[in-house]
Amino acid sequence: MRRTVSILVLPALLFIFIFFVLPILFLLAQSFLDPETGQLTLTGYIDFFQKETSQIIYVRTLRLGLTITLINIVLAYPASYVLARMPARRRTMAMSLVILPLMTNPVARTYAWLIILGRTGLINNTLLGLGLIERPERLIYTEGAIILGLTQLFLPLMILSLVSAMENIPKDVEQAARSLGANGITAFLRVIVPLSADGLVLGATLVFTGSITAYVTPVILGGNRMLMLSTLLRQRSMMAFDEQGATVVAVVMIVTALAVNLIVRMLRPKPTAQR
Amino acid sequence: MNVKRSTSLLTLVMLLIIPLISVQLSAQEETRTLVVSTFGFNQDLIDKNITEPFEEMYNVDIIYESGNNSERLARLEAMGENTEVDVIHFAGAYATRAKVLGLLQEIDVDALENYDELYEFAQDPLGDHMGIGHAINSHALVYRSDLIEEPITSWADLLREDVAGFVSVPEMSTTFGPANIIMLTAAAGGDPLDPEDWEMGWELVPDLADQLVTTYTRSSELIALYQQEEVWFSPYSSFARGNLMETGVELEFVIPEEGVVGDPIVVSIVNGTENEDLALAYIDFIISEEVQEAEALDLVDSPTNMNVEVPEDIAQLLTYGEETIDSLIFMDQEALNELLDEWLERWNEIMLQ
Repeated sequence: MRRTVSILVLPALLFIFIFFVLPILFLLAQSFLDPETGQLTLTGYIDFFQKETSQIIYVRTLRLGLTITLINIVLAYPASYVLARMPARRRTMAMSLVILPLMTNPVARTYAWLIILGRTGLINNTLLGLGLIERPERLIYTEGAIILGLTQLFLPLMILSLVSAMENIPKDVEQAARSLGANGITAFLRVIVPLSADGLVLGATLVFTGSITAYVTPVILGGNRMLMLSTLLRQRSMMAFDEQGATVVAVVMIVTALAVNLIVRMLRPKPTAQR
Repeated sequence: MNVKRSTSLLTLVMLLIIPLISVQLSAQEETRTLVVSTFGFNQDLIDKNITEPFEEMYNVDIIYESGNNSERLARLEAMGENTEVDVIHFAGAYATRAKVLGLLQEIDVDALENYDELYEFAQDPLGDHMGIGHAINSHALVYRSDLIEEPITSWADLLREDVAGFVSVPEMSTTFGPANIIMLTAAAGGDPLDPEDWEMGWELVPDLADQLVTTYTRSSELIALYQQEEVWFSPYSSFARGNLMETGVELEFVIPEEGVVGDPIVVSIVNGTENEDLALAYIDFIISEEVQEAEALDLVDSPTNMNVEVPEDIAQLLTYGEETIDSLIFMDQEALNELLDEWLERWNEIMLQ
C-alpha cells in the first residue's frame, strides 16, 4: 500500500523538482556568485540592502503587501461568513460570481481601472459633475491605485480560502456559544475566527505573496516611479543587464514570502477552549 | 482496423514529407541563407522593400529573428560563438553594448558601393567601423497646443510652472533616458556633448521629478498617456510621431532651440559570421537610395542616404530635412554605457523620493 502511494506521488514530485526546485536552487546559487570571478560572495546582498533605493522599494513592497492583506481580510470575513451559511445551490451561484474577476485577463482588468481612475475617468467626472472638485484629481500613479487594483485582484482568493474553512464549522458550535451567553461579535471572534484559522493562514499567504510578486498591476496603476520589488527585478535584468542584482531581488522576494508565511502560521489564532 | 488506418495515415504523411525534404536538400545546394536579427516592426513592408528583392537578386533566403533590443542582445551574448545570426540591427545604446562585449566585427566599408552617399553621422556611429547607421531616430518635444498657451520652444520649458504635473519623460533605463540629462544640461547653458557639464543637467532632475505625472518606458505608454489626458507635454521619439498624430488630440511638434537628440539605428555584422559577403551585400542594399526611399515613403524608417527625396507630407512624419538633420545632437554612447549603472541608481533615488 505504502509503496503504491509513493509511486503515485513520484511523477508530481519529479515535475516539481525539475521545474521548480532546481531552477530556484540555481537562482539561489547565482545570487551568491561573483559574476566576474565566479567566487562565493555576499556583495550582491550587501549592495542591495545598503542602497537607499532598494530600502525604499523593499519597505514599500512590504507595506503594500501587508495593507492589501489586511484590507482583504476585513472585506472577506463577513462576506465569507454569509456565503458559507448559504444553502448549497445559492452558494454555488454566488461563488461563481466571486471568482468571475479571476477569469478576466489581468491586463484588460487593469486597463479597466484606468478608465475609472483616469483624469477623464468615471470618478473624476462624477466628482466634477457634483461640483465637489474644481479640477480632476490624480488618482492613478499613486500607492492608493496599486492597493485598489491588487485588493480587487486577490479578494476572490481570500474569500475562497475562508469559505472552504468555514464550511466545515458545524452550525451548532456557534449556537452553543450563543446559548452560553456570547453575543454575536464575541461568538464570531472567539469561535468562528479560530475555527477558520486554516483558511485565514492560507488566504493571507496567497494574498501577501501575490501582492509582493504582482507585476502588471503595479506597472500600469503605479507607473515607473512607484517601483516595487517585482518591477525593480525587471529593471535590473532587462534594462541594466545586472543578472546578479536581479537574482538577489528574486531571492529576497522568495525569502520574504516564506518568512511571512511562517510568521502568519505562528500568529494564527488558536481555538481557546480546545483540549 | 485501427492499425490499418494508422499505417495508411503514416504512409500518407511520409509521402507528403519526403518530397519536401528532398526539395529542401536540393534547394540548399543553390540557395544560401542569411540570418538577420531585427525589431520585427512593419515586417510586411520590410518584406516588400527589402526581403523579396534582395532574396531574388542574390539567390538568398533571409531568415529573421525578431525581438526588442535587450532581448536580442541577451540572446546574442548567451549564444556566443554558437549564434546563427549574421547581421543584427540595434538602437545606438545597444549596438554600443554589443561592440563593447566584442560581439561585432569590423565592416569593410570599401566593399559598400553606397557608403559615400550616407550622412557623416551614419558612416561610423560606433567607431572602428563596427556598424552603419541605416536609419535615424530623433528625440524632440511635443505638447498639447490647446491646453498650453505659451508656446514650448526649449527643453527648459519642461520645468515651467504652468505645465507642472502634466509632464512625462522617458525612464532612465530606455534608449532616450540619458537624453533627459544631456538636454537638461543644454537647457542649463552647458555643452550637451561635454561629460564635464552633465552635472549641470543632473542638478535640474529633482525639479524635473516634481513636474512629472510618471515616466514612460515605451512610446505606446506615452501615446496612452496623451489619450487619457494625463500628459500635456513630453519628449517623444520620432518613430512614434505618426501614432501620436492619430490620437486625435491637438499636438504641436517642436524642434527646441537647444537641438534634438539623434539616435542612428545601427546595422552590424556579427563577429565570426560565415556569410560576410552576403552580410555586406545586405548592408549595401539597405543603405541604397532606392531601398531607403521606399522605406521612407512607407514610413518604416527615416533615411540616412543623403540622396533620398520625399514629398513634404511624408517628410513631416520623418526625421528628415536640413533643419532637422542640422539640429541633431548625438550622445556619446560609449561614455554613457560606462555611466549607465551609476545614472540608473541616481535617477531611481531622485524619482523614488
